[in-house]
Amino acid sequence: MKTLKKLSWKNILIILVGLFVLIYPLVGANSYIKHLFILFFIWSVVAASGNLLNGYAGINSLGNIGFMAIGGYVSGILAKSLGISPWISIIIGGIVTCILVTIFLGLPALRLSGIYIALLTLIFADTLPSILTLTREITGGAMGLHEIPGFLPNMEKIHAYYICFVFFLIAMLIIYRTIHSRTGLAFMALRDSENFATTLGVNRFNERLKVFAISYFLTGLAGGFYVHSLGDISPSTLGIEPFLLGIAMIELGGIGTFAGPILGAAVIVFGGEFLRLAGTLRLSLLGLLICVIILFFPGGIMQLLSQSESFIRKQIKKRKPVEKVQPT
Amino acid sequence: MNSFLNAIISGLISGSLYAATALGLTIIYGVSRVFNFAHGIVAVMGAYLAWTLLSSGGQLNLLLGIVVSLGVMYIFGTLVYRFTINPLMKKPGWDISTVLFLLGGGILLENVLLQIYGPRIKSIPVLVDGSIKFGPIVIQWNDLLLIVIAVFGIVVLNMFFKHTRMGQAMRSTAQSMPGAKVVGIDIEKIFGLTFGLAFAVTGFSGVLLSTKYFLNPHIGWEWMVKGFVIVSFGGLGSTNGAIFPGLILGIVEALVTLYLGAMWVWPIWFAIFLIVLLIRPQGILGGRV
Repeated sequence: MKTLKKLSWKNILIILVGLFVLIYPLVGANSYIKHLFILFFIWSVVAASGNLLNGYAGINSLGNIGFMAIGGYVSGILAKSLGISPWISIIIGGIVTCILVTIFLGLPALRLSGIYIALLTLIFADTLPSILTLTREITGGAMGLHEIPGFLPNMEKIHAYYICFVFFLIAMLIIYRTIHSRTGLAFMALRDSENFATTLGVNRFNERLKVFAISYFLTGLAGGFYVHSLGDISPSTLGIEPFLLGIAMIELGGIGTFAGPILGAAVIVFGGEFLRLAGTLRLSLLGLLICVIILFFPGGIMQLLSQSESFIRKQIKKRKPVEKVQPT
Repeated sequence: MNSFLNAIISGLISGSLYAATALGLTIIYGVSRVFNFAHGIVAVMGAYLAWTLLSSGGQLNLLLGIVVSLGVMYIFGTLVYRFTINPLMKKPGWDISTVLFLLGGGILLENVLLQIYGPRIKSIPVLVDGSIKFGPIVIQWNDLLLIVIAVFGIVVLNMFFKHTRMGQAMRSTAQSMPGAKVVGIDIEKIFGLTFGLAFAVTGFSGVLLSTKYFLNPHIGWEWMVKGFVIVSFGGLGSTNGAIFPGLILGIVEALVTLYLGAMWVWPIWFAIFLIVLLIRPQGILGGRV
């Protein structure tokens, strides 16, 4: 009964926030706020699919931003140079990302353990800017791609807003279903105890390949939605700052929780605008934020929430108030 | 032909420096299984420290500057271990949290250095002037000295690991942590010393690299990634394994730059890395500290 009550409270809150997000642009969000929301939708998909790998499957992948850029570039080039409809090119972009990653990274990386995957993905993301410059005629080199067609002719911000919102919902549904499916259980078991899981008949290679494919397909799609909503992409999209932001979102929200990356993305995207005030100190602050969270709040916002919830619960039940509140 | 020979020579020089860079990585990973993702910035820090000492107190000579920067880096390494890595390693999921922590910390340090020193390129003066000529090939004395120092450093480190009590304790920790505990080795102390040693070695390699190339706060990432490739080529956790991959990759890099252009360097490094991992993930010369 108690858990039911708790769940319903949370559900009500989620529904309220969802409704707010749904109606807000109609009742008067300005263009800037819409822009931020679009960024939030896309970033939270990137963060959540990164979390699927890092948090749930225990695969230290650091190349998410690079793969997002691949999806974006493929979709952008197809739509701009070949005139393919964005709806199709986004999906092609996602599939291409997925296949590229699986061939170039997945197959070698899945035979390896822990740290090698982190190295491989990081070096891969590091190599991308050179490759972009080498393929200047197609990708635009350091200048990037501009004036990429939107989803609809004469698209306005509000259309992009709703399209990205729907994408966000669908992606979250896919991630949620994945986590709670057989595959999800399998790769969580692999994360927790690899030997035990393989003994029980979990196929390490297949399950990891699946989670790689799902995660990077969504990341590639997010890249496609990014370019078609915002209209341009350049190698600076793969720079060190987006890379850090991606990590900070997962860590801040709470690694290995479903809602964590979404909350983290919300805080970073909306709060990140204040970081602009810090000017050149911005990156230092981000680095510091990541360090402090990992050292002192390893569970991120989700941990704080659940701790404060149990604290309040105890207060309500009038037990000894400050007995078992864990210091963080 | 001349340019080919010169490319080989310069490849050997940069290769030995890359090997020196990779040492710090491989020491830490070999002993403690923590992969230092702040490696590049540690090298850059060492180099900046030496540069500061050189440029501020004009009477301080280069050797003294290097010694002081080594000492400072040693202390910094033990402090980093004591106050951050040690608590992190006691929690579950430490492998991923240390990676992310060191990445974040590296970026923090990089930007702090950027605030202090600015983005302008600095360079450490060469150790010795002059050059030597073998027919068409010209070698700077300084480069020769760098190779000698790098190789000598690797040999000394190996002696340290083989023949001193501390080095043996580090090796036994690397081979088996529970085993080392059983015979009474204080693991945490060994880890602290390892971090200090590795940071000092890394800082020193940074000084060497910046006498040959240049120094700015961002260059560390490049050094670090090259160190990664060399380390995985030679086998993670192997000090000897760093030498030959370093030299090979240095030569490959020089030839690629000569015949294909500098833009191809990164894709080629990545391709080599991928091939190595596909053929022999434990490294071509797989071995341990």
